[in-house]
Amino acid sequence: MKIFRVNMTNQTVTAEDVPQELQGFGGRALTSAIVAKEVEPTCHALGPNNKLVFAPGLLSGTTAPSSGRMSVGAKSPLTGTIKESNVGGTASQKLARLGVKAIVIEGQPQGDGFYCLHVDKNGVKLEEDQVLVGKGNYEVVKKLNEKFNEKIGVMTIGQAGERKMLSANISVKDPDGGLRSAGRGGLGAVMGSKKIKYITIDDTDAPGVSVADPEKFKEAARVFAKGLTEHPVTGQGLPTYGTDVLVNIVNEAGGLPTMNFSAGRFKGANKIGGETMHDIIVSRNGKPTHACHPGCVIRCSQVYNDKDGNYVTSGFEYETIWAFGADCCIDDLDIIAQADRICDDIGIDTIETAVTIGVAMEGGVSPFGDGQGMLNLLGEIEKGTYLGRILGNGAEFTGKAFGVTRVPAVKGQAIPAYDPRAVKGIGITYATTTMGADHTAGYSVATNILKVGGDINPLVKEGNIDLSRNLQIATAAVDSTGLCLFVAFCILDNAEAFQAIIDMLNAQYGLSMTADDVTELGKTVLKTERAFNQGAGFTAKHDRLPEFFKRETCPPHDAIWDFTDEEIDSFWNF
Amino acid sequence: MELEIRLFTGLKCNNQELPCFGKQEFYLDAPDEITVRELHGMLGLDRKTSLISLINGVSRPDDWVLKNKDRVGIFPPVGGG
Ligand code: SF4
Repeated sequence: MKIFRVNMTNQTVTAEDVPQELQGFGGRALTSAIVAKEVEPTCHALGPNNKLVFAPGLLSGTTAPSSGRMSVGAKSPLTGTIKESNVGGTASQKLARLGVKAIVIEGQPQGDGFYCLHVDKNGVKLEEDQVLVGKGNYEVVKKLNEKFNEKIGVMTIGQAGERKMLSANISVKDPDGGLRSAGRGGLGAVMGSKKIKYITIDDTDAPGVSVADPEKFKEAARVFAKGLTEHPVTGQGLPTYGTDVLVNIVNEAGGLPTMNFSAGRFKGANKIGGETMHDIIVSRNGKPTHACHPGCVIRCSQVYNDKDGNYVTSGFEYETIWAFGADCCIDDLDIIAQADRICDDIGIDTIETAVTIGVAMEGGVSPFGDGQGMLNLLGEIEKGTYLGRILGNGAEFTGKAFGVTRVPAVKGQAIPAYDPRAVKGIGITYATTTMGADHTAGYSVATNILKVGGDINPLVKEGNIDLSRNLQIATAAVDSTGLCLFVAFCILDNAEAFQAIIDMLNAQYGLSMTADDVTELGKTVLKTERAFNQGAGFTAKHDRLPEFFKRETCPPHDAIWDFTDEEIDSFWNF
Repeated sequence: MELEIRLFTGLKCNNQELPCFGKQEFYLDAPDEITVRELHGMLGLDRKTSLISLINGVSRPDDWVLKNKDRVGIFPPVGGG
């Protein structure tokens, strides 16, 4: 495998052998190792000294179920920390099959022109291309499908990334031409700062991924697939209802942030929940079950059509629906679906953007509950008006612009769909993760609310720091394998399926790793990332939730954020 | 005593003898001091997979004793994120 370096300052591409110390790394472990080693932590994230790294996971490109996830890494312009954003779609598998260990985009060109990259069996080619500049992601994908074919892999930025907005994401084409997003942390702005509009990937005649012991690999993959299909969450709940099934249970548990984090229950919850969404999708001939990449057996995605049966969006996630829904007090799934589509098209993170709109509503920009008003605000971002540029820079920026003090963000990144006062384990993750507020970094909700991997009370402090620590370590390892994080629902309950992951890695790479080695990998990733953040000026004082969580209670439980600083800091005792 | 019941994610009352048969959201006249497990039985809920029962928004074990006016939400195993 090779690491490809694209130098945008002098527009050259070079291919390098993978250095010994990076050979056992993939996905997040690899992006974070490269960023930590090569990027000056104090650099400007949108300047020439930042680097944007794409890395397929260790198992990507093989027949391992649900292994087509890719990590995108850089210094984040939103948080100022190191960032790994994880994404599905078809790119990861194609890159892995082409022998691409990573693509590192560095430097910065002079002038305003944009470029594109093409990856195929001959390597990586850089070209100028202004034709698609200014276009939304759906049109970019359509035009590239016409230029190449329907199978071409695409990674693209919308207008938001071109404008270097801090909530800009990177979109990756799914098998049906829909979009998945490396959503968080503004990595689309980094791609825009490098002047890359899109990357195409053609894996025709790709050499494929070599597996040291194919028989062992096949057997382990079989055990793993069986575990996933037999677990009630990965085998039934997620394929049937998608992630949006969480709305009702999180609401019932009093942890569904409502009206810009001023309450934990939303009266319109059931109208936007996964059960209602499922019925709407079925009645309109959409697809309730859909895979974001070939070979995912969980298939939590879906295809959502409008009232006339026309495609609106896919990968319509709980986080998006909660944020445009409960957080903005909107209970109309069709409006939320339109909002999701607009965000995907202009290339902005739905969590950051919807939380931003909640903050803007609090600041009087538009009333809570006004669906059309919300869509109009997204239109401002699309047009790039001054208001749009404020909103497109995220919740913290918008809070400052409108004098709002209830701004749910940690290290500059908006807090997602679980109130930390009522789901304390996830609060510890928001506070301590190297990424800025991010639920996926250590999904304590699983054990706090969903009773997967044990049962730890979400409303008291006991056990929640250890829970978040263990999950963050395990997640850093899973994010390096290319496996979708949702496999965790199965492996937290099923030791055999967990062992099957280690067996697949050993069979592919000819290793003899144990579970302890996997834990060590996760710890190494977290420590590498934290060292980068410390170099960028972050201290324990940044591992804190916004003050309002300590001052305002969250109904119905009247829960409060009550961890002491010392307790939070003990997270890092490992 | 009276309970405020919400059943989610495909669960519904399967007891034909109750007025709430087939329903997901209803008030139920239940015997005093009934446990969560007894309530599951009374509603004829599927016991093949473990259920999550939130009583007034707090997860409670199956032997938990219910009180008058409790709000009860019952879920099969779900996940997402
Ligand atoms: S479970 Fe969902 S998000 Fe994960 S890989 Fe499958 S379809 Fe994509």
